[in-house]
Amino acid sequence: MSTPRIPELVVSDLTVKFAGITALDAVGFTVAPGTIHAVIGPNGAGKSTCFNVLSGVYRATSGSVRFGEHELTKLPPHKIAHLGMARTFQNIALSKLMSVENNIMIGRHRLTRSGFLTAGLRLPLNRREERDHRARVREIAAFVGVSEYLAAPTGMLPYGVLKRIELARALAMEPILLMLDEPVAGMNGGERRRMAEVIKAVQEDLGISILLVEHDMGMVMQLADQVTVLDFGKRIASGPPAEVQQNPEVIRAYLGVSDENATGVSMDKERA
Amino acid sequence: MFESPRWVRISALVAGVALMLLVPFYADTFWMQAGLFAIAAAIGAIGLNLLTGATGQLSLGHAFFLAVGAYGYVYFASESDNHFVGLGLPTPVAAILAVLLAGLVGGIFSPIAGRLKGTYLGIATLALIFIGQHILSNAESVTGSHNGRQVPPLDLGFLVFDDSPELVVANVPLGAFERLWFLALILLVISAWVARGVLRGRPGRALNTIRDHEIAAGVMGVPVARYRAAVFVLSSMYAGLAGVILALVFRQTVPDYFGIILALDYLAMIVIGGLGTVAGAMIGAVFITLLPQVLTRYSDGLPLVAAPGSGGFSPAEAARIIYGAAVVAVVLFLPGGLFGMWTRIRLAVAARRHRAV
Repeated sequence: MSTPRIPELVVSDLTVKFAGITALDAVGFTVAPGTIHAVIGPNGAGKSTCFNVLSGVYRATSGSVRFGEHELTKLPPHKIAHLGMARTFQNIALSKLMSVENNIMIGRHRLTRSGFLTAGLRLPLNRREERDHRARVREIAAFVGVSEYLAAPTGMLPYGVLKRIELARALAMEPILLMLDEPVAGMNGGERRRMAEVIKAVQEDLGISILLVEHDMGMVMQLADQVTVLDFGKRIASGPPAEVQQNPEVIRAYLGVSDENATGVSMDKERA
Repeated sequence: MFESPRWVRISALVAGVALMLLVPFYADTFWMQAGLFAIAAAIGAIGLNLLTGATGQLSLGHAFFLAVGAYGYVYFASESDNHFVGLGLPTPVAAILAVLLAGLVGGIFSPIAGRLKGTYLGIATLALIFIGQHILSNAESVTGSHNGRQVPPLDLGFLVFDDSPELVVANVPLGAFERLWFLALILLVISAWVARGVLRGRPGRALNTIRDHEIAAGVMGVPVARYRAAVFVLSSMYAGLAGVILALVFRQTVPDYFGIILALDYLAMIVIGGLGTVAGAMIGAVFITLLPQVLTRYSDGLPLVAAPGSGGFSPAEAARIIYGAAVVAVVLFLPGGLFGMWTRIRLAVAARRHRAV
């Protein structure tokens, strides 16, 4: 497979207001092609709102999100998906009643064409698509490590597995920009390490851009090329992980102290 | 997900169809008519299950689209005369046009059907029932108002679906009901096959994802409103086909039949049979359609059930009480309906056999 041309994602002056509450206040950052960019911040900082605007679920009050020549703030979610942007959800958003395989197959929706007539009459296109794309889904499931669950009903599986199925479904879209909303939240140490390995492998093997919202600082420091820090909807810092970690603003936001000598403190304690 | 081997399923299907093909040679008129209602209802219920079961879009207007199919057929097939208007088209063409008309009317409603979700669509479609009843009562030259309108028998050229000319096969005279039985059965098999293909393919996955997580469906590239509108049109066409068959069985269309009660019956069918599957829709349709008929037929032998006006419950009332209780029981104890129960029994048996080996 030739490497697809990956455009920059440029977020500028993005503001989102909900009935008087400003969830995002003139936030800007750029995801350079093929890099891992992390967005971090305390709870309620606006990280998930940011994701929801990028994927078209929420409308921006003002500002712009450009992906190559496309302005995303004007597009509905399914059109953004067709540009090659995939995302996972912080809270699992899978169909409990469908099998794992069918849940991942929905990721192939944008890459397939069968409609009501083609599927209803089992025309050759439908047969060919089902066969080829199910094969690809099995490859992706193996890559993410959920092969053994493909036939299982999704509703019965443990949380850590569901998180990986979400990742598999997003990868099944063959994205050029992958957005991960807290991919290791609620996982134990072993599961976290595995997920980090998979994410690293995705970036290295596929060369795609990854935008990551995460609370696990160890993981952010290990994976991210660039970090943007939000607090109360505002960008308070931006830069390479090591630099951001030393930033007094960031430490204040996380620990709630204004002691500027307390640089380098571990930020892992942030989450209750 | 839980499939028997392909050969088991195919032989079960072949045996079932063969058994159904034998019915007209043995059953009396009562059972033929009851069976035809059940087959027509099964087709309609499959359509509703695509919309409500698979996509999570509630519809209280299914009876309206049955009426569009039934009256559409009568309008297209009848000749104009002093009282009524009609196009006098060949009856097979009229039948196909009636199904397309139901789809077209569903399409006209689709800007609403695409935007409203779940129960909100239920309220909107309720309006269709009242609009339908109003039109059926007042557009007398087309619908015949309260007296209804006679339905021209379907004529395929080599075969007329009527009692005359006489047709005798294996010493059994095959009248209108018997002939319609074969036609309805073929249409049911095709309808079920197409719906199953839709549900198991790309559109079915999109519909299920819309039902379970609308936002995820959009983010995965599914145009949610377009799919909701499309499945509404498809569901309307299934209802239209059911309406055409019902009209052919009734031979006289009556507006009162296509009211809110019928719409609720269809919802009861898919809930009791099992939401989201073709088999569930068919089982529920048979249950809901045959229950009052059977109770009427055997009311003498049943406690508390008696002829109307003589004390006890009338068979129709008894049927409503029973399936009201059945809906409650299914919702409480049988998620997945009767078909879901069947699947669970099979799983349990398979598991026991697996342990025994």
